[in-house]
Amino acid sequence: MTGIQSNMKTMREIINQNRVTLCLTCGKCSSVCPITRWENREYISPRLLVEKAASGEDDQIFNDLLFWSCITCGQCTELCPSDVDFCGFIRDMRVLARKENLTGACTHGDAIQTWARIMTDPELKQNRIGWVNDDLKISDKSDTIYFTGCLPYYDIMFRDLGSESIKVAQSAIKILNKTGIEPYVMKNERCCGHDQIWEGDVKTFKALAELNIDQFKSIGAKRIITTCPECAYTIKYDYPKSVGEYGMEVMHITEYMAEQVSKGKIDFVNDQEKQTVTYHDPCRLGRSMGVYDAPRKVLRELGYHTVEMKKNRSAGLCCGTSCWTSCGKTNKKIQTERLGQAKETEAEMLVTACIKCQVHFKCAQKDKMLENEIGIQIHDLTILAAERLKS
Amino acid sequence: METGSIIVFTCNWDAYSGLETAGAKRHSYQPEIIPIKLMCLGRISTGIILKVFERGADGVFLIGCPKDECKYYFGNKHAKTIVAEAQELLTLLGYSSGRLKMDSIAAGEGDKFTEKVRDFAEGLSKISEGV
Repeated sequence: MTGIQSNMKTMREIINQNRVTLCLTCGKCSSVCPITRWENREYISPRLLVEKAASGEDDQIFNDLLFWSCITCGQCTELCPSDVDFCGFIRDMRVLARKENLTGACTHGDAIQTWARIMTDPELKQNRIGWVNDDLKISDKSDTIYFTGCLPYYDIMFRDLGSESIKVAQSAIKILNKTGIEPYVMKNERCCGHDQIWEGDVKTFKALAELNIDQFKSIGAKRIITTCPECAYTIKYDYPKSVGEYGMEVMHITEYMAEQVSKGKIDFVNDQEKQTVTYHDPCRLGRSMGVYDAPRKVLRELGYHTVEMKKNRSAGLCCGTSCWTSCGKTNKKIQTERLGQAKETEAEMLVTACIKCQVHFKCAQKDKMLENEIGIQIHDLTILAAERLKS
Repeated sequence: METGSIIVFTCNWDAYSGLETAGAKRHSYQPEIIPIKLMCLGRISTGIILKVFERGADGVFLIGCPKDECKYYFGNKHAKTIVAEAQELLTLLGYSSGRLKMDSIAAGEGDKFTEKVRDFAEGLSKISEGV
């Protein structure tokens, strides 16, 4: 079970790099892990998995129930007093597991992972910008790239759930136009590769990242703005680390909006009756990138009265699933728990800034038996902001 | 699976009986065509269709029972939704629309089966020639 390829880390290297051996077995990770809380087939926890790795029971790691069901939400890493990077450990280990032909249970019939693999074809010519209508201004020469992510694809895939995918992209352009930017939208943009790198499929990730970086460089922009926290995180941190530098600033749209609000360059109509809303922190935007204040600032600016859920900011609960993999009853319980927390605040609306969070919550809400416990309107912050732009 | 293959998914009932009749009558069709039998076309998923294209197939053709004659009542209706969804995704990915198609035949229609798969394969070669 050692690294087969020269550029692949060995299991020992992964254990040392992620400081797994420093675990004090305090159990703080297990107390916050949503999978530990809801998995009822057997008792699993980050602490136990880390212990297995530290004590050299290498062959047990890949068979641990948590190994593929971990949603890499990062709550354990956030709390760990010894700074053990459990998510990093899982992510690196999954690369080794892939070499042994092990993968997580696929959901959505593997369709999403498959189109990402199709996108690794350098000859591919996509028709992906049909959503840019006449009201939206985009330009072939711009210092800002709007990175759409898989939004046009999710729009088709999750239409039955009423996902707001395309509207998110259109709203983002509307906001950028309002602040005087006509962004460049890549006609042949590839999936950012977030799900691939977190599921251990580094080969696909690198192929996608290289194709994207080539395009970034040819455009010669200075800044990339995304509406998906996962794209923002992957492009900002993983591309330079695993593939190569491209010398551009990466921002999530909420950061951009907050910045423009501070500069006084964007104005919102906020004369409506104060609606109470609650904000759900997406894991990659919150815990991974540390963006907690920007979306809240925008919400206040929009004239909403914001209330916080029991678990918020760095303690915020994940939307329940990650990488479109291993989704099952445990994940649904996490989603139900989170929506329940939103309902408890008595807010009228749950606002997110991540399309995946929205899809997962709306999927959980399909259970009509739970309507009283989890029925709450869900909207994306970008759309709410675009609707209230002062003309 | 070789690059350039054409995958024909048939259901176990009317479509497969068509294929058997075509075999019994010693019909022939293009060698790229690979039939795969499913219990019902309702088994198909967007993921399966995309995966066939990922592996390098030229086209995917689904043949099932005629409208309202599905042996499981909803199978071909479900397949129709799936094919429409896959078609939209493939269009975004830049594949021409003729590369995915769904059709039906009644039980024992061997001639029709051969005719339909041959037409589909010919259509695909026209697409690849850019006609």
